[in-house]
Amino acid sequence: MELFRQTNIDFLRYKWIAIGLSWLLIAIGLFAIFVQKGLKFGIDFAGGTQIAVQFAERPDLDRIRQILQTANLGETGIQRYEEESKNRVLIRVQLQQGEGRDVSQEVQNALRVGLGGAADPARLDVNREGRDNLGARLAAADPDRVAGRPEVDAASYYGQIAERVVERRSELGIFRSMADLDSVPGITPAVRAWLKANTYTGPFVLLSAENVGPQVGADLRKKAVLAIIWSIVGMLAYIAIRFRSLPFGVGAVVALLHDTLITIGILAVLGREFNLVVVAALLTLVGYSVNDTVVVYDRVRENQRTPKKESLEAVINRSINQTLSRTVLTAGATLLVCLALFFLGGEVLNTFALTLIIGIFIGTYSSIYVAAAIVVIWKNLRAGRRLQAVPAPRPAAPAPPAAKKKSGRR
Amino acid sequence: MSKRVRWRVLLIVLIVAGMVTGYIAMGYANARRERVGAAGPVTFSEALRRGVKLGLDLRGGIHLVLQVNTADALKAERDEAVDLLQLQAREQGLTLGPVELPNVRSFAVGVTPQTDIAKLEDTIRRFLPDWDVSAAGGKWTFTVKDLARRLIEDNAVAQAVETIRNRVDAFGVAEPLIAQQGTNRILVQLPGIDDPKRVKDLIKNTAFLELKLVESGPSTDRTALLAPHGGQVPANLDLVEAAPAPGERQQVWYLVQKGAVITGRDLKNARPTQRQLGGSAVSFFLTPAGSEKFGNATGANVGKQLAIILDSRVKSAPTINERITDQGEISGSFTPEEANDLALVLRAGALPAGLTYLEERTVGPSLGLDSIRKGVTASIVGAVFVFAAVLLYYRLAGMNAILALILNAVMLLGAMALFGATLTLPGIAGFILTIGMAVDSNVLIFERIREELRAGRAPKTAIENGFSKAFATIIDTHLTVIISAIFLFQFGTGPVKGFAVTLILGLLISVFTAVFVSHTIFELMYGRRQHIDALSI
Repeated sequence: MELFRQTNIDFLRYKWIAIGLSWLLIAIGLFAIFVQKGLKFGIDFAGGTQIAVQFAERPDLDRIRQILQTANLGETGIQRYEEESKNRVLIRVQLQQGEGRDVSQEVQNALRVGLGGAADPARLDVNREGRDNLGARLAAADPDRVAGRPEVDAASYYGQIAERVVERRSELGIFRSMADLDSVPGITPAVRAWLKANTYTGPFVLLSAENVGPQVGADLRKKAVLAIIWSIVGMLAYIAIRFRSLPFGVGAVVALLHDTLITIGILAVLGREFNLVVVAALLTLVGYSVNDTVVVYDRVRENQRTPKKESLEAVINRSINQTLSRTVLTAGATLLVCLALFFLGGEVLNTFALTLIIGIFIGTYSSIYVAAAIVVIWKNLRAGRRLQAVPAPRPAAPAPPAAKKKSGRR
Repeated sequence: MSKRVRWRVLLIVLIVAGMVTGYIAMGYANARRERVGAAGPVTFSEALRRGVKLGLDLRGGIHLVLQVNTADALKAERDEAVDLLQLQAREQGLTLGPVELPNVRSFAVGVTPQTDIAKLEDTIRRFLPDWDVSAAGGKWTFTVKDLARRLIEDNAVAQAVETIRNRVDAFGVAEPLIAQQGTNRILVQLPGIDDPKRVKDLIKNTAFLELKLVESGPSTDRTALLAPHGGQVPANLDLVEAAPAPGERQQVWYLVQKGAVITGRDLKNARPTQRQLGGSAVSFFLTPAGSEKFGNATGANVGKQLAIILDSRVKSAPTINERITDQGEISGSFTPEEANDLALVLRAGALPAGLTYLEERTVGPSLGLDSIRKGVTASIVGAVFVFAAVLLYYRLAGMNAILALILNAVMLLGAMALFGATLTLPGIAGFILTIGMAVDSNVLIFERIREELRAGRAPKTAIENGFSKAFATIIDTHLTVIISAIFLFQFGTGPVKGFAVTLILGLLISVFTAVFVSHTIFELMYGRRQHIDALSI
């Protein structure tokens, strides 16, 4: 199968329109960042606390909001995420940790009390306890009477039982009832009875809790900006060494800045959170964007070597056409992967994949309409300056109208 | 099969076999290391799952970044210097004016006309070589030298790392990571821990113990306590709040001397004790040097109160009945568990300085499992899509590409296991992204071959030309992504670093598979035949 067979599209004919479009996209992005809502920083960069919990029942967000308000935690953001059926909620508290306050514990305690905790405070919450505590409590109670048996180490014996309980909980997501607890495999009736008598199923399981202090947030922001700047400098150096040509280098780096700026802008427009993983995606994009540009440049250089009377614009057009199916195919393959990550990869990878998806489109487009166009414009300007007196010659006869799927050999 | 091709095949088989063996061997090793206490041999399927170490975001656990408040250590050093100077002054009959403590790095001593300057200078030379001295306005100001200050700070951080390690070991965590980060930060990663609160409390418990002489107090009235001093805390004293007793809301204050008699550094051992009147306490025992200091101070201050201050809160303030040398007791409202934990942290070593939590990330076990499931599903689906596209587009040559991609994935897993690289959730994304990008090399080559064929070259020549012409471009495209991944590695922490490592390894391997392995497969397919009519590409 072939998508493009010896195409001869005059890509660069539309370069001025493309440049206008690029500026428009950049302007929209900058408007969203600086005028409208700004970049929505995740806690990695803004600092604060973020807690993800899974509830046993459908969570009532208003009620949770109320509970947290009375807990005196300042401004809180509450939202559901992932599939509805999973009852997952993300709680964000801007309040900084410190002054001896453990915000994530406070949030959990408030929720536990507010949503109706245990009637009997001596009971353990099986949705909360970890292996160590559960194992220790079991060992202290010793329902299987292993204390008298010298060949059994009670701590590791009950440690394994606790492990099985926690594993089962991980599989189910959360213990909804005592019946769920009954489904833990490989435990004796005595232990089962002890669990029933001494534990209860709390209203939620903690999925993750993150707290980033203001210092770390500022540090990470600085490091992220530096990493992006340095990788762009690195790319410039690479292109400069590899192609020994100023217009090529400038073209690649402008394309790179263009891609990064537009991608960040689109993320801002979409209101996506800007966090560490997005920066990772952006840096990958930096590599991808140059990668794409280099393929076209390599071809241009190769074509320039053949002694043919052809204008630069025609050479570049021919190179873009020659690499077109590669460009589309590679972008397509990477896009397929990113789409899979976007739809199936879960919360963390969702924005990561989205950033790359946007980046692949913009990066492919910019290899042609920014990187290559700049080289052409640059050379045309220089040529124009040299021939000031004489009217600038028109670049060699424009290619015939786009002829797709033109058969026949050259 | 030509001799050259035979060697190439052998090399590829050897490398892949090495990677697979390495992966499985690492799997057994990792599985064994993670099993603390649990018995039973490691099964093969377990080893298969454990070949690559999983990051905290996939395995569950705690990631903490703490800052060591090095000022605490400087303060302790300064207090010691003041003690030393006063002790020497007493022994040599030197008259000194009042001591002032302007900040943690310096102190000032009043010099009166009676002061024997030569003797003071001699004392400083002999006992306080780490201090710069400047004289002005009837007092000498001592400032710790820069080199000494840096040493104190470095030691405090190193000691804090050591102390945290001791405590974590006592708690029993498999494969903890405790490392200094920058000048005064400590990174603590505890995989598999699902009891964040307990571990946090254990680490957070600075157990910064100071014993200080009480000047006045206890009092519930701050103002009254400060009234004799003109309403302000005098330079040589500290106002310290008492740890609240259970059920007690009233605040209680003590005025204590700024310099500590002894600190946690002078401790040799500690253990929980049951008191006769009920309740728990912690007994402590001192090092020889600590005993001497403690003996001198208690001997000289019989009848006074001694405040036992833990983490800047007065736990109790017993009256000194007699000279005590090598042991003491911390009482106060402890439950047996609290006494136990306190003894543990005192024993494991008190922290030389307080800690502040800068960053804290906890991942529960169920989220990790969920993330693995999703990441792997997305990867498999992504890979299947890519394979289908390649097969559709390049037919038989597509099989070649798919084989190269599968080898790429196998070798990447093996390389990650052998390098001890950590797989994180973004790392899984990096893994599959590598596959997507590795296709690029095959595409570059295949497109070239097609072009050559179109230009009328014979199939064999087309293959050779295709590979050689695409080579430079392949190196270019890989290098650009690797360069940006290196900066990513430099910048990233935890999960993001895992992504960078996966990407770099994956790209390096992809150069090998695309250029060397694919080429060999073509030679295997077409090399034997003398004449090829057409390529399936």
